[in-house]
Amino acid sequence: MVVKEFISELRTAFPDVEMEQAQTNCDLGNNGYVHVYPKSEDEIVTILQYANEHGKKIVVQGNGSKKGFGGEKETADILLSLSKYKGIVEHGAGDMTVTVKSGTSFQELQEFLSEYKQQVSLDPSWPKYASIGGVIASNDSGPKRLGYGSARDAVIGLRIIYPDGTIIRSGGKVVKNVAGYDMNKMYIGSMGTLGVFTEVTLKLRPLPKKESVVLISFPEGSFEDIHAFAVKILDSMMEPVSLEFLNPSLAQKLIGKKQFTLAISFEDVESSVDYQVKMIQDMKPDQTTLSILLDNEELQSFWNQLYSISPNGVEGNLETKETEACLKVGVKNLSVLNVIRDGQMLQDSHNLVVTAHGGLGHGICQLNLKGAREDVASVITNLCQIVGRLKGYVIIKHAPLSLRQEINVWGDKPTYLFLMEGIKSKIDPNHVLNEKRFLGGI
Amino acid sequence: MPLKLKTKDKHIKKLAEIVNGPKSILYLKEDLLAYDCDGFTIHRHMPKAVVFPKNTEEVAAIVKYCASHNLPFLARGAGTGLSGGAIPINEEVIISLVRMKRLVHVDLENRRAVVEPGFVNLKLTNSISEKGYYYAPDPSSQYCCTIGGNVAENAGGAHCLKYGVTTNHILGLEVVLPNGEIIEISSDGIPDAPGYDLLGLLTGSEGTLGIVTKITVRILKNPEAKQTVLAYFDKVSDGSYAVSDIISAGIVPAALEMMDKIAIEGVEAASFPVGHPKDIAALLLIEVDGIEAGIDEQIKEILEVCKKRNVREVKVAQNEQERARWWANRKTGFGAMGAISPDYLVQDGVIPRSKLPEVLERINQVSEEVGLRIANIFHAGDGNLHPLVLFDSRKPGETEKALKAGTACLKACADVGGSITGEHGVGIEKMEEMRFVFNEEEIQAQTAIREVFNPKNLLNAGKIFPSPGRCVEIKKEMKATSVKSEEKLLEFS
Ligand SMILES: Cc1cc2nc3c(=O)[nH]c(=O)nc-3n(C[C@H](O)[C@H](O)[C@H](O)COP(=O)(O)OP(=O)(O)OC[C@H]3O[C@@H](n4cnc5c(N)ncnc54)[C@H](O)[C@@H]3O)c2cc1C
Repeated sequence: MVVKEFISELRTAFPDVEMEQAQTNCDLGNNGYVHVYPKSEDEIVTILQYANEHGKKIVVQGNGSKKGFGGEKETADILLSLSKYKGIVEHGAGDMTVTVKSGTSFQELQEFLSEYKQQVSLDPSWPKYASIGGVIASNDSGPKRLGYGSARDAVIGLRIIYPDGTIIRSGGKVVKNVAGYDMNKMYIGSMGTLGVFTEVTLKLRPLPKKESVVLISFPEGSFEDIHAFAVKILDSMMEPVSLEFLNPSLAQKLIGKKQFTLAISFEDVESSVDYQVKMIQDMKPDQTTLSILLDNEELQSFWNQLYSISPNGVEGNLETKETEACLKVGVKNLSVLNVIRDGQMLQDSHNLVVTAHGGLGHGICQLNLKGAREDVASVITNLCQIVGRLKGYVIIKHAPLSLRQEINVWGDKPTYLFLMEGIKSKIDPNHVLNEKRFLGGI
Repeated sequence: MPLKLKTKDKHIKKLAEIVNGPKSILYLKEDLLAYDCDGFTIHRHMPKAVVFPKNTEEVAAIVKYCASHNLPFLARGAGTGLSGGAIPINEEVIISLVRMKRLVHVDLENRRAVVEPGFVNLKLTNSISEKGYYYAPDPSSQYCCTIGGNVAENAGGAHCLKYGVTTNHILGLEVVLPNGEIIEISSDGIPDAPGYDLLGLLTGSEGTLGIVTKITVRILKNPEAKQTVLAYFDKVSDGSYAVSDIISAGIVPAALEMMDKIAIEGVEAASFPVGHPKDIAALLLIEVDGIEAGIDEQIKEILEVCKKRNVREVKVAQNEQERARWWANRKTGFGAMGAISPDYLVQDGVIPRSKLPEVLERINQVSEEVGLRIANIFHAGDGNLHPLVLFDSRKPGETEKALKAGTACLKACADVGGSITGEHGVGIEKMEEMRFVFNEEEIQAQTAIREVFNPKNLLNAGKIFPSPGRCVEIKKEMKATSVKSEEKLLEFS
């Protein structure tokens, strides 16, 4: 395609929309010959309709932190960026709900809400880059998922533009709603393959009055102890917001201890948090070391580091020669122990770094791999086998395009894939949006 | 050996064979009468037959048979649905799941349980409570409704304010699709299975996308402690403001329920009175749970809020018996209306919490306009109203008036940015009201999904979505049938 002609065609079609020719190509793919930056919903509608009618393909992007997530193509025709579609639409402080434009960064949103002592109860990676739309579209979640739930528990309404330009509202502004199908759920995690979110409505929670994180590091070879301790916590009356298991490489980075470590966090009124921290102290297994993060700065820095441990698509990884990948692994709660342990073992048997953590209360793990391309690829294959035996799944959340073209980002096709294909073809029959970016080539 | 049946209908004979015998099928008129409606009794229709499969394979075989012979069919649990979802308006074959009622598996370590769809909600909690665990969604009908029905309706309950509704607790499903194919979605209960979230889509689809035959649910550890507060107000508005204030104080109560004067009159006249003062305008039932050490602080704050909002009297439950009495009084609230009115119609609108005073006032006006009393018992914390329109179906025209009042209440909710249903579902009852919240394109976007799962629309057709001619027909029929039930009553009296 002659890009110059294409961009002038687009300029004529929508003269008011900000756009530019793509600059450099990074190694993550999911690019567009032309980048467009709509500032209004009308503009988004026009662009989608145009592409739909002219057989053009669109990559949808928030701020680009998930550029390395799914997708088999170097570039589509248009990259539709929502980075300039930002801001709070409506905040019902008394109702504890907020409606926000999809390009708003997660951090901006939380900062706005914190003035009202409220928050969105989600803790995704890279809050400073991740747009709320992208967090919802990729169904990202973090360690606090145990206490908070995930996107499907927080989102109460969406405004989404279908490829033919139809504006669809799903859900609403109220926290409880069963009118019609729960379309929100279908759109959450759909990776931009069904439509473009323009607004997200979320339910909010009060900021906790107090937070503490207890870190317990275990000596080598004490897996049975860790398992027993985790079960004891889960079976107690305690209400941890996270019960995250960190591998030694990650613990080293976060707290300077190269040991398997449990990060147990509490959020509640002060008396309750203090009481639970005390309980953990009393339960501390022999030969472990325990430290407590209490003051805000310490807590902030701990979490911020954890949220920015994975590779992201904004900063790219062209500079380094090493290949970076990030995996999301889902298994049964306690199988998280196996995944994190085996991840560490794979680091030791291959020449690469694996930083990994997983939630013992919810079963979702994140493993970040960094090393030579062959090693990364081989560890991924190994992990897929290990997780397969645990009946779980592996999703590649980030990897260079060339690697994604070789390995199956979303894992095996489920028997009911035809239902998903059916949904896609009802909504996006021309495969305009994020072509082949999702499970089974959807 | 051919089965002995009192019918020549070949479909019924064949269905009887699938479920292995005459005891697993009903087809005689007198037996079918009990299945002509569910908890929404204003509209009735006779099914073709009712079959009672014992396992998934039988369900699949029934569905396959129906699909290949173009026989409409639908699933039924306990039949407590309040929006008519299980009413066979197309003379369906009803597939009753009450015999698939096993607790298949409990995995405490990984906090999940697997149940068959006919398993009764409360039984799950009862089965695991000794070990200190429970299943959170607690519809007031929990002593008899099925978890399959809960999944279909995405049922809520008093404690859903803090813990979420059914959909937040469903980890996996086995489903028989409308063509008879069996699929398993996240049967190991692992969250975020790759692909579109079909679990989320199926939950709350009111039995129109598939028949749920196995369910993996999340179970929770019992909270360490609970405290329950009862607060009486002389003005409804004070009670409503107290609700908002509690939430804005940063407290997330486990439950925050409200009843108004007429509702209180009802519950006090029924089986579980607790001696609420007769002359108060509203009461709040508030429960806080969690770590014992943190509860007092929250209760103290709640008491302060109530005082600031001119509470007349406020008390904390002194022991488990007292707490249980208050809850029994609340949870039997709908049925209690039977003590003060021959019939009642339950509505189920949702509003942003802050609009509570305004909307309750509007409901009051509706009551005056139609000349019927309306009681309010509801989940105030999440803005889920249950106006109960009291009427007497024997009086000509009152059923219509009640329906009209119900619609007006829902309109009031939709007008302030709310929803027409928070937990009871649309069914046949609120199809027309769907237009209060969705436009034509949005409704089409949803029916497009139904076409993917249920392309022949043989499974529970004619529910949830209005189609221009159809809804008018149903409303007309409703009038007609309510006249019929009047006649029936006369016959018996
Ligand atoms: C007194 C009373 C109080 C109530 N309180 C509450 C409350 O607090 N909160 C609340 O949410 N609801 C409440 N309800 C409504 C009702 O109990 C719930 O909707 C419940 O979930 C219905 O379950 P059921 O087993 O009775 O389902 P049914 O009424 O038999 O069926 C309901 C719908 O689900 C479908 N269905 C049933 N089983 C399956 C299956 N296995 N697969 C697919 N579809 C299926 C049916 O086709 C139908 O559309 C109350 C009802 C009553 C009578």
